[in-house]
Amino acid sequence: MTTKITQRRGAQMLQKAAGFVRALASLALTVAITLIGLVALTFIIGHVVPIDPVLTVIGDKAPQEVYDRVYQEMGLDRPMIIQFLSYLGEVLRGNLGNSMVSGRSIGSDILRFFPATFELAILGIIIGVGLGIPAGIIAAVKRDTWVDHIVRIVALIGYSVPIFWLALMALLVFYARLEWVGGPGQIDIGYAYSFSRVTGFILIDTALSGSWDVFVNAISHIALPALLIGYYSMAYISRMTRSVMLEQLNSEYVLAARLKGASEYSIVVHHALRNAAIPLVTIVALSFGGLLEGSVLIETVFSWPGLGNYIAQSLLGGDINAVLGGTLVVGTIFVFLNVASDLVYKVLDPRTRALT
Amino acid sequence: MNFQIATKGLATALLLVLAGPAFADTPADTLVIADVIDDVLSLDPHEVSEVGGVLVTTQVYQNLVSVDIEDATNIQGQLAASWEISEDGLTYTFTMNPDATFSSGNPVTAADAAYSLQRAVKLNSRSAFIITQFGFTAENAEERIRATDEGTLAITIDEAYSPSFFLVVLSAYVAAIVERAPLDAHEVDGDFGNAWLKSGAASVGSGPFQLEQWDPAVAIVMARNDNYWGDAPAMARVVIRQVAESATQRLLLEQGDIDIANKLGPDDHIAMADNVDTTTLNGPSSVIYYMGMNQREEPLNDPRVIEAMKWLIDYQGMADSLARGTVSVHQTMIPGGFLGESEYTPFSYDLERAQALLAEAGVELPISLDIVVWNNAPYVDFAQALQATMAPAGIELNLEVVDGGQWLERYRSHDLDGWMGLWGPDYPDPHSNALAFAVTSGDTPDDKETLADRFGFAPGDLSARTMAALRETDAATRQALYEEIQIEHTDISPFLFMFQEQRAIGVRSNVEGLVLGVTFADDRYWNVTK
Repeated sequence: MTTKITQRRGAQMLQKAAGFVRALASLALTVAITLIGLVALTFIIGHVVPIDPVLTVIGDKAPQEVYDRVYQEMGLDRPMIIQFLSYLGEVLRGNLGNSMVSGRSIGSDILRFFPATFELAILGIIIGVGLGIPAGIIAAVKRDTWVDHIVRIVALIGYSVPIFWLALMALLVFYARLEWVGGPGQIDIGYAYSFSRVTGFILIDTALSGSWDVFVNAISHIALPALLIGYYSMAYISRMTRSVMLEQLNSEYVLAARLKGASEYSIVVHHALRNAAIPLVTIVALSFGGLLEGSVLIETVFSWPGLGNYIAQSLLGGDINAVLGGTLVVGTIFVFLNVASDLVYKVLDPRTRALT
Repeated sequence: MNFQIATKGLATALLLVLAGPAFADTPADTLVIADVIDDVLSLDPHEVSEVGGVLVTTQVYQNLVSVDIEDATNIQGQLAASWEISEDGLTYTFTMNPDATFSSGNPVTAADAAYSLQRAVKLNSRSAFIITQFGFTAENAEERIRATDEGTLAITIDEAYSPSFFLVVLSAYVAAIVERAPLDAHEVDGDFGNAWLKSGAASVGSGPFQLEQWDPAVAIVMARNDNYWGDAPAMARVVIRQVAESATQRLLLEQGDIDIANKLGPDDHIAMADNVDTTTLNGPSSVIYYMGMNQREEPLNDPRVIEAMKWLIDYQGMADSLARGTVSVHQTMIPGGFLGESEYTPFSYDLERAQALLAEAGVELPISLDIVVWNNAPYVDFAQALQATMAPAGIELNLEVVDGGQWLERYRSHDLDGWMGLWGPDYPDPHSNALAFAVTSGDTPDDKETLADRFGFAPGDLSARTMAALRETDAATRQALYEEIQIEHTDISPFLFMFQEQRAIGVRSNVEGLVLGVTFADDRYWNVTK
């Protein structure tokens, strides 16, 4: 008997393992196809836009012979398909290549700019989720009362006012007038060279420096852009939470729960929120992904050395390699956020577990 | 968990943050400049050409000679103590200054100087044309630029030019003198140490500052050169920070977080006018704004049509209402402040005169022209103003507003009607502009296409006369020649010269000793105190 049970268990485990491997393989395949498609698309767009990267390097005055030499050095004289394949080969070997314009390694460029964006995005999403979800729930529960109206107006402002204007106003008030926070840039110049950049994350690096002043200064600089990004994502998250919750609260199972005499708290938290959680995971994941691309406008106003500006600058300079590198990184993040939210679904919703 | 300690810590942190950074002012020995430096690609002086790169080169490197900021015709020795010119005007012999040292402490020798100029030629970067116009090539550079002994450098050029012209070019960034030994040590595949120097890993100059750190698109930090052979600068550090927004630069300046704001728009200067902590420094810039018309196209090949267009621009009105103090009306090819400058400003808005010219030309109206405009201030404003004032005469401008890359690309092609843009000379000699605007490829020593060629301009004998002015050795005669050439050029060329830029820099009131440069990026920071 026992051997049979063990055998059966073994067979089940093998089956499970096989299923797991299959799921993993199909996931890897999907991810690979998505990313290759992304690279191909970016590559084509990059070559269709009427920007000449050679001119970014040589400027407007260099003679034709310099133009021709640089054109060749950049490998632009090769057929497009060859350029694409050689790029793809490099990427598969884990090399994002060098910038066509500055010659710097794109991998290390991205490593330099990404932490600044990542740090802001993390703070932003914490604020966005921490305030946005409760606000959305309250607004849905207190629908059409003054609470709801306030939440909606606050969200509407965050949604519709141009963020660069909001950023400039915030700087004017909190930095220039009230002097509560530090100005544009990651840290005061007086401190900028008093700590070493180990991780690239300004809060971690300044904390590691062991100097309280430096750390506080870094906080005072990141506070405003983080709050603005947080506000922006809060506006979106609270709006979406409200509408998802309203949909749940109007459904029949909520009515049934009410008839059963469940308390309002239990209805909102145990029934409606539990069901609303699944779409909310996607919403939060995608808005986090959006923040990780970097906000060009926020980065410009706050002189924040982030990824958004890097990609935008590269695009304007026709530096296709850098644009491709940046897009790939952002694309990969999106793919993995999607995978992560799929996994969270499985935790939240038993029905999706059986499918793999 | 010690909840209380955590709360207290958090509360203290909040309080500290809310109390505000009381340390807003920049450190007393550090000069902080806000500028746009995210376009800087290289910090190799023989390769730079963006504003930020040239600005750094100016502080870090020196040349054989330098140009007096107050008087561009006055050329002084810098790393060269003196020089002699051979009878035939072809060979320049420089005696090196024995006191000069690099930041490494080693003396600046004639061998370093020869190496530097050869390097600039052989690297053949986009700026190399400034120096190769004297007939230097990778093949002949070692023969024509040579150190005859430790303290003597002899340079032989291909034709006898006005000496001031060659010397001014030697003062340009591309002729910076670098120390050879460290570059040899970092040479990879015969690149003359370019990859190393380009990345900003170090600097190998003899100037008052040396490069400390380059964080691309964020900041460039220069530190005082402790081995500097001249008077030590007061500032221990100069930091150029990337701040793209004019409004942000103003906030930083008013708060004292930066000392100099290089890219302030007219609105911000006006808004700052009442602030006692800041002042606006004005200085000439040698940038010329113009609209070039392509004379390959009908009816732009008729000089009367071009002249009519010159009467259809409200020069003063645009300068007053659009540019608000950032430009002055200028209608010739050589900027004010240079040798040969001219105050010739014949044109003003005159609709009737323009209509008469168009009638005389007998062209069919309306004329429709496609104008390529950079999507950046102030070009779009200027172009729209021209559109408005030319329309009543029957000249319709279709503005093709494009971004910077496309704007440059269209400029090289020959298929446009008009192009609104700017020209900044590369060295403070009139030839930098005259060559571009008035000479055609047949008259250039190396047959290269010039700006005049791009716009299909046939300048007649003006082209040859401009080259003759270059060979004139007497400064006063040379000046007179340029004045004459310019009047004719302004009358007949397809270039609608409008303005010369006036620079306006925001500075903290305690900043003294800032010297604004004469070309596009040669401000000098070493005398600054605060």
